[in-house]
Amino acid sequence: MIFRAVEDADLIRRAARGDVEGFNLLVSRWEKRVYNYLLRITANREDALDLTQDVFLKAYQNLRKLDDVSRFAPWLYRIAHNEAYSMFRKRKPETDVDEVEPEAVETGITVGGNAVFPMELNIAVATALDRLNPDQREAVVLKIYQGFKFEEMSEILGCPVSTVKSRLYTALELLKVELAPMKARGVS
Amino acid sequence: MKCSPFDVRDYFLQELPESEQRQVEVHVKSCQGCREELEQLRATEASLMCLRDKEIPQRIAFVSDKIFEPSPARRWWSSFWGSTARLGFASAAMLSTAIVVYSFHPVGAAAPVAMTASVAPAPAAVVQTVSDNDIQARIDAAVAKAVASVETRQSVQNVALLKKMESVRREMIIASGELEYSQKKIIAYNRRQWDGPNDMVPVSQQDAK
Repeated sequence: MIFRAVEDADLIRRAARGDVEGFNLLVSRWEKRVYNYLLRITANREDALDLTQDVFLKAYQNLRKLDDVSRFAPWLYRIAHNEAYSMFRKRKPETDVDEVEPEAVETGITVGGNAVFPMELNIAVATALDRLNPDQREAVVLKIYQGFKFEEMSEILGCPVSTVKSRLYTALELLKVELAPMKARGVS
Repeated sequence: MKCSPFDVRDYFLQELPESEQRQVEVHVKSCQGCREELEQLRATEASLMCLRDKEIPQRIAFVSDKIFEPSPARRWWSSFWGSTARLGFASAAMLSTAIVVYSFHPVGAAAPVAMTASVAPAPAAVVQTVSDNDIQARIDAAVAKAVASVETRQSVQNVALLKKMESVRREMIIASGELEYSQKKIIAYNRRQWDGPNDMVPVSQQDAK
């Protein structure tokens, strides 16, 4: 993990000097993670793909402004977060973004009309995540699925650590209740 | 859990310093409530993790853009070093050249003064300096190209969508025509039913009566 971080830092420095191959490598390392983050908060594959594209364009344009290369991940996700919320605002200009419930979260049950994940637990988890509000869901995605620290999440979301913790712990309480029956029935 | 010296949730999420982590570990061993809390959190996380990451449907256009491909010279250079056979051949060639050179110029044949005279001055280091303007121009060009690629992809999708909408519209027109025809038939049938069986008699027979 440390070795990988050093490599990333090297690539970032190379890319900031205009080395496009370095940036290519950086994109290929991060595109899947950024795409999945955006997919889970936008619940739309096309939107997630377009936003991922935009995120890397912006990252390339602004890479030289990144002072501390060790902060690349939160910096990149901050761009992704801003791009996603900018899209939400454009689509729902008269509604408060925090109050907007995104479209149904991709349950993973069907893709192109074909059954992909027929497992009961998958459905339960997707439904449980869907019931969280957008802020809580994003906190879960960043912590559980993307593995960020509170401090990094605070940087990405642009809010204090206390707010991040509050959103995450409320979400975990709700998820615990939602997913407990599945456990009791021995699904997990 | 309030009985724990530190928040069990922070412990579970590995957000505590190492010393505090250890204190919670010790506490959890002796506290049934905190242990259950921890188990619930672990079960919740395990459930959440059953939703796996999706593969990205297509590579980011920025990466596959031709402008980002290495130059032909660089590709040749990397493929050269990647090929064991070529590398072996080059090494053999260098070795044989060295043997030939050595055979014509045995050690000690040349005077020390001549040797020093033959040492060429080191060439000035070639420093590849790329100006900020060049970098910015490359970035701008690359971004413009990537944006154009995305726009092209979106326009293709739009055209496909419009075609689909048009075919759906036509199907709806046909369906509505069929519906209208069926409704007329039903109305005509009902009218015949209400008017009685005499009306079902062909016009020619009515005239005969």
